[in-house]
Amino acid sequence: MDFDLMWQITPLLLEAAWITVTISVLAFILGLVVAITLVIMRSSAFRIIRWPARIYISVIRGTPFFVQLLIFYYGGSAFGINLEAYTAGLLAIGLNGGAYMSEAIRGSLIAVDKGQNEASRSLGFSRMQTMISVILPQAAGLMIRSLGVLGVIIIKGSSLVSIISVVELTYQSQRIISSTYKPFEVFAVSAAFYLILIYGVISFVDWLYNRYTRYLSH
Amino acid sequence: MNFDFTPVWENIPTLLTGTGYTLLIALFAAIISLVGGLAVSLTTLYGKKIFSYPLRFFIWLFMGTPLLLQLYLLYFGLGQVGILIPALLTGILGLGIHYMAYNADIFRATILSIEKGQTEAARSLGFGRMQTLWFFIVPQAIFRALPQLGNNMIIMLKDTSVLSVIGVTELVLNAQFEIANTFRPFEFYISVAVIYYFLNLILETSLNLFEKKLEGRR
Repeated sequence: MDFDLMWQITPLLLEAAWITVTISVLAFILGLVVAITLVIMRSSAFRIIRWPARIYISVIRGTPFFVQLLIFYYGGSAFGINLEAYTAGLLAIGLNGGAYMSEAIRGSLIAVDKGQNEASRSLGFSRMQTMISVILPQAAGLMIRSLGVLGVIIIKGSSLVSIISVVELTYQSQRIISSTYKPFEVFAVSAAFYLILIYGVISFVDWLYNRYTRYLSH
Repeated sequence: MNFDFTPVWENIPTLLTGTGYTLLIALFAAIISLVGGLAVSLTTLYGKKIFSYPLRFFIWLFMGTPLLLQLYLLYFGLGQVGILIPALLTGILGLGIHYMAYNADIFRATILSIEKGQTEAARSLGFGRMQTLWFFIVPQAIFRALPQLGNNMIIMLKDTSVLSVIGVTELVLNAQFEIANTFRPFEFYISVAVIYYFLNLILETSLNLFEKKLEGRR
């Protein structure tokens, strides 16, 4: 083990870790927007609106994220569109995450007891009011948990954008390895960064969940 | 905008060979991850501390870092210490070990979910500790774990695409060979996505049928 090298490369990898964080956060936000749109589309009364959402979710979840990423980056040329690596990576992670998030959101909404909806509607609340003040608060706990898990998956998935040469943690590690020939040391440092990020997110989600359930029970 | 799927059609044998490799890799990695996962979970639960602590660390480490990083570490790291194994073997091992950690986590949870009364009853009937585990606890735990394990295997089938990065000649890498010859990235990647979609569909449907059948047996 070459500890000097590990110490030397830490600032370089820290910079790259920041790119991993920003691309993951932006992709998560994009995914959330896509997911909410999909959930609303799927609850529509019209089949023409429901079906595209269902097909989108099925296609995204049925094909590998890696292939989707390659299509975004290399496939655009067939339409005369050439996306920059960072943009292509961000779009691919966000659009992929959106499909999974919409299922997570829908799952936690469905998990709320049906009687709640009926009771609220029979008390004169509108569909919208029922959703916002009765269903959502009860579903939010589960939603925090499952969206947290997807956040972790997004951070791990972001390592794949190194293939289209976005300079994040994994790409930077490889670049350093190609000049130092010390894969073990370099990957140990970048693994440490991933572990901090991922278990950081997990503890944050746990904290948020506990806070929320305590708030609910008050 | 111009599409031309004839190069894909002409090179369909290459894609089909790739699909064969993808399935083979997924099968072997699945066996490693399932058998290994059960062994790891049993050791972390009932093994001596010298074995169980390192294995718990292994689960923590492998669930907290991206698959790609682990593959690189295995591929380049083993080279650093002078062990050279073919890419295909590295890929199968890497994928198998990655999902071993996830499966071990699932097995751990389901083994713990079996009621204590089961152990007590078996023990009081004169079964030894090992026998109780093997004939009573493990079969029930496996049964309860099946839906989640199936889910993991579906995710793993899609993740085999990542192995192309370390030079395993599976579906994606074979497509990339042909893309280098024909310069038709969009058409090839879309076709690859379609193949994955159908593989995924077949696996999902058969797992659902399998689960239903078992449900009836209960």
